Amino acid sequence: MTIVAEGSTGTNENRGGPIGLLLVALPVFLVCWLVIWPIISAVMRTLWLTSETGEKRFSTETYQFFFSDPYSLSNLSLTLWTTCVCALLLLLVCLPIALYLRFSTSKVAAYVQGLAIFPMFVPSIILSFAFIRVLGPNGTVDLLLNAASLPKMRSPYLTPWGPVIGLVWDNIPLTVLILLAGLGSVSNQAIEAARDVGAGKLAVLWHIILPRIVNSILVAISFAVLGIFSAFTLPYILGPAAPELIGPFMQRTFRDLYDPINAITQAVITFGFCIVFGLFYVRSVAKNRAP
Amino acid sequence: MSVLKIKEISKIFAGPVRAVDNFSLDVADGELVCLLGPSGSGKSTLLRMVGGFETPTSGVMTIDGEDITHVPPEKRPTGMVFQSHALWTHMNVFKNLAFGLKLRKVAPDEIKRRVDGVLDLVGLNGYGTRHVAQLSGGQQQRVALARSLVLEPKILLLDEPFASLDQHLRERLREEVRDIQQRLKITTLFVTHGQDEALSMADRIVVMRDGKTEQIDRPDIVYREPQTPFVAGFIGTMNLIEGTVSNGIFSKAGYSTPLPVSDGPAILAVRPEALDLSVVTENSQGKVHRVTDYGSHGLVDLELLDSTRIKAMVSHPDLFRAGQGVTLAPRAIAAYRGNAVIHRA
Amino acid sequence: MNTLVHRRADWTGIIMAVVLTLVIVLPLIVVGTWAFANVWRYPSVIPQEFGLRFWYQTLARADVWTSIGTSLTLSLTVTALSAAICLPAAYAFARMEFPGRNILFFSFLAGHAFPKFGLLVAIAGIFLQLNLIGTFWGVVLIQLVGTLLFMIWIPVAAFQSVDRRMEEAARDVGAGPFRVFWSITLPQAGPTIAAAVLLSFVGTFYETEGAWLIGAPQVRTLPVLMISFINNQPVIQYGAVLSVLLWVPSFIALMFARRVVNSGSFARGFGG
Repeated sequence: MTIVAEGSTGTNENRGGPIGLLLVALPVFLVCWLVIWPIISAVMRTLWLTSETGEKRFSTETYQFFFSDPYSLSNLSLTLWTTCVCALLLLLVCLPIALYLRFSTSKVAAYVQGLAIFPMFVPSIILSFAFIRVLGPNGTVDLLLNAASLPKMRSPYLTPWGPVIGLVWDNIPLTVLILLAGLGSVSNQAIEAARDVGAGKLAVLWHIILPRIVNSILVAISFAVLGIFSAFTLPYILGPAAPELIGPFMQRTFRDLYDPINAITQAVITFGFCIVFGLFYVRSVAKNRAP
Repeated sequence: MSVLKIKEISKIFAGPVRAVDNFSLDVADGELVCLLGPSGSGKSTLLRMVGGFETPTSGVMTIDGEDITHVPPEKRPTGMVFQSHALWTHMNVFKNLAFGLKLRKVAPDEIKRRVDGVLDLVGLNGYGTRHVAQLSGGQQQRVALARSLVLEPKILLLDEPFASLDQHLRERLREEVRDIQQRLKITTLFVTHGQDEALSMADRIVVMRDGKTEQIDRPDIVYREPQTPFVAGFIGTMNLIEGTVSNGIFSKAGYSTPLPVSDGPAILAVRPEALDLSVVTENSQGKVHRVTDYGSHGLVDLELLDSTRIKAMVSHPDLFRAGQGVTLAPRAIAAYRGNAVIHRA
Repeated sequence: MNTLVHRRADWTGIIMAVVLTLVIVLPLIVVGTWAFANVWRYPSVIPQEFGLRFWYQTLARADVWTSIGTSLTLSLTVTALSAAICLPAAYAFARMEFPGRNILFFSFLAGHAFPKFGLLVAIAGIFLQLNLIGTFWGVVLIQLVGTLLFMIWIPVAAFQSVDRRMEEAARDVGAGPFRVFWSITLPQAGPTIAAAVLLSFVGTFYETEGAWLIGAPQVRTLPVLMISFINNQPVIQYGAVLSVLLWVPSFIALMFARRVVNSGSFARGFGG
């Protein structure tokens, strides 16, 4: 999937100027109207508040409120905790899978790959339901523990660990795929050369493989962080009622409390926390797709 | 220094095919042995088994009497130069060379001394801080060689190291590698499918086919006295004429020559440079098809009466024209029956 | 490379396969079992009675049928609109030269540079002023934005992978530009484009967060109904039956889009 800008400059396509612009106008307009404008507007509306008299004035009071309100802050810290734990777990789970898939020649590998990609085809709402049925109270795990005459476990349902498990499950496929694509750039001979000069398996992993896939790891983490930081469905269904993750918090502020300005403030704050990951992610993708 | 002994090694991947079939070879101290063969002959697999990257299905390998058959590559006293140089592109030249030494916990100043020494050896003095991507193909391959040499391996393994380089560069590096090898007197095993490389570099050549040895000999002997029709056809250009012998006469489509062997089928082998032609108007044994003038010599393509093609090297190509009838007079011949030499003259 | 892997029995692989099966397949089997359980009371490990009772009950509910209708209409509308505006644009990006081509091409990434739900809340803020909250077209718009990246980037790659010489050969034998597109380019790029269309249909069908924030409770898609079943419905089997129903489009996508997803190019599209 490389876009060949210069390469495709044939003789008969330079004349496409106005027609080309016309063809791309609608989707570009949609992006401007429904992605770029809302972001600009969100920042403006939360910084230039409209008073009762209808005048606009510059004020940071909604932000001051968020960062002084203990409930908002505990939601934010829970979100940060969840994001970090998920990112860490994802790497711990997906890196071994990706390494195995890259270097295995056995038939089991195809099955493992199929399974690792499978969650992509399971909508998070079905996952939530399955989670409750398996790990919830009187779920399958409890049934099996009971059948083995063991005590019930403490269910992660409605605890902070609920969303963590669900989000990790949900993000396995893309993390594995991104890491696997990165591992594709590590040649077999580069690894054999390292073993030849005396590097054991760990040394090969640490000195040869990891330095080459650092970028892929960062992309995978960025992608996961962008998805997890403001996740809604899984934390809404599986997570605790209070404190809550920022996704359900925004939704409740917007719909149940009917307080759009504070909800948008929270949204802008999530943008702020994720901006580094977002820019890095976009830069990497653009670099990969660039001519 | 070091002696490599390979004893009855076999390698079976999937299925019944033996990639390497009961192969034995002794490489003497300081010797450079070339494994030569077409692709699929098992030469690379054999080299990779010596390096430890493949495990033999059966057989034993020793270096200086020590069994290395099941020693992992990182613990073997072998150094390998890969076809596509396999340099680590995230490290500069110095770090590439120093990596193995660091793993061995060599002191930093000692590392510096050894890396500089080996860079000097391959003619890349002062290139330590360069990045791999900034080097030319030839320089990259020199760094790869230096990376193996810096660890002072007992056995140096080269897996078609010049395959990705152009002809001119290949010839220069060939000489450099041979010089370095002789200066260090390092025991070397070299895989190639190019006969020029094998003939110009090796102390001995192992010609391989289907995982088996066809011939092991000095280059000049492999060229002059090929033991099998396969070797005869693979090294240099060789006319191989399949015919029959009866009453001491070999004959094939109007051409015949005395051949003092028992009756039966035979393959007559004649080098183009050992085949004299004379133009005749009648009783011709073959017909000139095309004449190519290379300046220093000429090559005549001719057809026997049943349109078997053979080649002859001539010093005066202007004497021949397409369509002329000729008679053949070989100065040196060999004859094979099955896979064995039955006559040489 | 074989030496880096355990040649004899691939224990690493077997352990991974077993663990992944338990973690990924088992939960879905449990859901499937619930859908066909007439009676399953604690602490029995398997249901006391299998049957289709709850299928009849679930399918007799009016809200389920309304949701199925809403979801299908919504997904079809969004996919059709998306194809109509994105495919010509994709062709233009792949084959035409115009000012700002690269920057416009990468502008579609903008939506992916921000946390999704935050962006949805920002969009909802705009929709609030336009009275689009709680309307069908509000949901259509928000879903449409979600499909843009895939529906442009994947077809662009597909169009670009069509060998220009094939098109030139068709021009050479006398086909006009439109004919070339119809008879040469489209059939060549077809399978990948079909996969993109399918992915956007399935993606829209499952989209929960935008539908919940913008549409609910007036516009109730299947996933939105599913949330309320999970939150408020004591009969477990309703949710289970709905899950099985919901998963059908996924299954179809799995069958058809597997090759596209498994190819490295898909992951590279995510920046891997």
